[in-house]
Amino acid sequence: MVHFLARRSNLRSQILRQTPKICAFLFSSKSNPQNTQNFPPYYHKTRESNFQESTFLFGNAIPLLNFSGYSTNLIKNAKLSSGYDQGLVFSSGVRFFATQATAPATSDGLTVEGIVASPWPILDEDEGDWKSHASAVAQSIHLIKKRLQWKKLLVRLDLLSVELNKPNLWDDPVHAGKISREHGSLMGKVKEVMDFEQELIEHIDMLKLAREENDSELESETMNALLRMRRDSKERELEAMLAGEHDSASCYIEVQAGAGGTESNDWASMVMEMYKSWAQRRGYRVTLVDEMPGEMAGIKRATIKVDGKYAYGYAKAEVGVHRLVRISPFDSAKRRHTSFAAVAVIPILKDVSTRVQIKESDLRIDRYRAGGAGGQSVNTTDSAVRITHIPTGIVATCQNERSQHQNKATAMAVLQSRVDQLEIARQAQMNSQHTESLTEISWGNQIRSYVLQPYQMVKDSRTNYEVSDPESVLDGDLDGFILSFLSASVDKHGNSL
Amino acid sequence: MKVSSTFLTPFSSTFPLISSILQNHRKPNYIPFRRYSCVTSSSSSSSSSSSSSSSSVTPISHKPQIPLFLRPPIYSTTQPDLHNFITWAKTLASSIGSTFVQIDDGPDSTLLLRELNWFLDDAVEDPLDISHGRSGTSAKRVGLRASLDEMYKLWGSRIQERRPFQYVVGCEHWRDLVLSVEEGVLIPRPETGKIVNLAEEGLKEGGVWADLGTGSGALAIAISRVLGKNGRVLATDLSPVAVSVASYNVERYGLQDSIKVKQGSWFEPLKEFEGQLAGVVSNPPYIPSEDISGLQAEVGKHEPILALDGGVEGLDDLFHLCTRMSIMLKPGGFFVFETNGEKQCKILADYLENVTGNCFRDVTIISDFAGIMRFVTGYRI
Ligand SMILES: C[S@@+](CC[C@H](N)C(=O)[O-])C[C@H]1O[C@@H](n2cnc3c(N)ncnc32)[C@H](O)[C@@H]1O
Repeated sequence: MVHFLARRSNLRSQILRQTPKICAFLFSSKSNPQNTQNFPPYYHKTRESNFQESTFLFGNAIPLLNFSGYSTNLIKNAKLSSGYDQGLVFSSGVRFFATQATAPATSDGLTVEGIVASPWPILDEDEGDWKSHASAVAQSIHLIKKRLQWKKLLVRLDLLSVELNKPNLWDDPVHAGKISREHGSLMGKVKEVMDFEQELIEHIDMLKLAREENDSELESETMNALLRMRRDSKERELEAMLAGEHDSASCYIEVQAGAGGTESNDWASMVMEMYKSWAQRRGYRVTLVDEMPGEMAGIKRATIKVDGKYAYGYAKAEVGVHRLVRISPFDSAKRRHTSFAAVAVIPILKDVSTRVQIKESDLRIDRYRAGGAGGQSVNTTDSAVRITHIPTGIVATCQNERSQHQNKATAMAVLQSRVDQLEIARQAQMNSQHTESLTEISWGNQIRSYVLQPYQMVKDSRTNYEVSDPESVLDGDLDGFILSFLSASVDKHGNSL
Repeated sequence: MKVSSTFLTPFSSTFPLISSILQNHRKPNYIPFRRYSCVTSSSSSSSSSSSSSSSSVTPISHKPQIPLFLRPPIYSTTQPDLHNFITWAKTLASSIGSTFVQIDDGPDSTLLLRELNWFLDDAVEDPLDISHGRSGTSAKRVGLRASLDEMYKLWGSRIQERRPFQYVVGCEHWRDLVLSVEEGVLIPRPETGKIVNLAEEGLKEGGVWADLGTGSGALAIAISRVLGKNGRVLATDLSPVAVSVASYNVERYGLQDSIKVKQGSWFEPLKEFEGQLAGVVSNPPYIPSEDISGLQAEVGKHEPILALDGGVEGLDDLFHLCTRMSIMLKPGGFFVFETNGEKQCKILADYLENVTGNCFRDVTIISDFAGIMRFVTGYRI
């Protein structure tokens, strides 16, 4: 192993020497020494380099430098400056300019796009053919870039970099915070893909070298590494579909019954059950937050909280109206009924600083009120709380916690997320990225039909994805619908990057 | 000594009997309604003569029950059997509809079904087992904190005997606390929580505070958590069960060093603190005797009468406390009392302002979250 590592790093510097372009691009300097003064005071303290772990490109080539990436809480960008108390001042204004990047290439000039375009066959994993592995990984990288809208992403990143380099940036700390957060998050994505790409190129070089030198140990190590990359790339493809700002967040899922009494209340509760089992299958933690039962059966409305990574990213594909056609068990005449249930999905923002500040005075809090004398005369476990945000009219209710205290806290959390979502939608509309109205954003249009009689089918009207087994779908087997919708909406931008 | 015989009854297994025993038993410390004027001297023992007997009650060792959710999961069952239980329990709860609402404003099916979820949360070790139910296999054991048999009995008692849910699971979630409760101890009410908020200002000053008739220890614990290292709380109760449960709760929150729980009647065990208390809070029994029989079954049939019955007008204990307070509070000391509503608030406020002879200032009536006048607050001059 030592031997292998030693060789690797050796090779790395060798490769690095061969590709001065990469070096140039990462150090491309738009230096502006005054910049430092514009950063907030915590600037010097906040970071022990995130960058360090990811500086494999420099490897041993520049062992003397000790980097500290500038970062606020979220930022992982390529701003390089010396640790302010250690060693060399390298530069204080270097900024990553993504569009200047040149694709990494092997010693003989092979790039990822080159591999994609090549006629290398992609065989099964166990065929153990390196070209096959490399080709599969390259295809993945290509797809990932497509999903991330790579070119657009790089342009945006540059735009943000220009913005970040402005000397008066921190005059408006809120704006600056927003810009640097976005920059940091995009930067993270770009770097991840580029690292992956670079790794592939390196392995290919290494493999060739191993063969030239008849080093079978190194060859098999490298083969294994390529295989690992191949497996890893599938996961990355999926995550690239969930690259939205809030996709990795937990969320609330809300189901609301359409008009039509018991039959649609029953449908709403079937839809809710479908999401509960879907979420549990995915390993998410599900908690019931709010539920308003129907008079006879089912629910008029319910909200669950779904905790776990990418819960929002997946669930957001379900926003819209879900239609059911069946012979209603509640109709003694056995007629066919059509019912509707609307689904809303609300992300739970992780970054507190991006959340809307809600003023206590803007809230009206109603609590469950026992009839009669109250106090010692009444013992009820009902401690429901309803909170209204007066300026927006948004209401959140919770009755499933066991104390008023908890119900209030939970209702408040739901309210906060709804207000945040409204604000996100409002801003998106201002930036005219969206043309839908706010109500469309929260409840959407009809997206899917579930037909139980006279025939059996579930069909998504957005993607035309359909299955003929409603039972399994209602049991939570929704991933087919979700993934086809996500990939359709992400992959629709043609074949270019 | 008649008092102790009542409390010696083993509560744990014969809970439905307790209420009937207590119901026939008039409260031991009944103090006829008397008007006192402001007493500031320490020679005040005369005024508490009527309740002196209680302080000599030998504390009996009652062993507090452990709430269901804290018991070890030493029982087990299969998923189908658990599922059968859930189906049975749901059917039972659903069968109630709004029957109890019509009888005495009791719980409806919706609420009972919600309680069933909480019951399962407490009784079943792994919450995932609850949702699996039907699709589960009999191969996998489901860990339980009570045997399935006991679970049937517990849920049956909730519906058939209207046993309060909080006694069934042995705890009440109150404010941000989870308090152990059992038969013989009043289940703290959400309204009472406001006392803590009302006292907040005064609590900043620290000092020695008293919670009289502490029951489960709810107020004492909440107040002590606000006080922090800044002060101490003395909690008293006449009921040995309350004293043992309160002590258990105090320990659960690690507050043994800050809260002293004493058995005895009202201020009786606190003689040494005369004129030293920085604050007094109390939620004494205040329901007029004649209203007791009309109470919701969960309250009237199961909660201790000693915690509810406040005498003819419901004001016996409140008056007693107000009177003694002038001696116990230090100048500037703060008090909050909970009452039955508007009528009692007004009588009490008037009494404190006009009758006690300039002992108190800033006497204020404050409503609960339902808008019912509920609390009387003020300061010792
Ligand atoms: C309405 S409960 C209040 C319990 C607790 N403070 C709460 O708010 O949940 C009244 C309490 O006063 C106690 N009590 C009744 N008579 C008493 C007396 N003479 N001295 C002390 N405590 C008494 C009862 O045992 C009961 O715990």
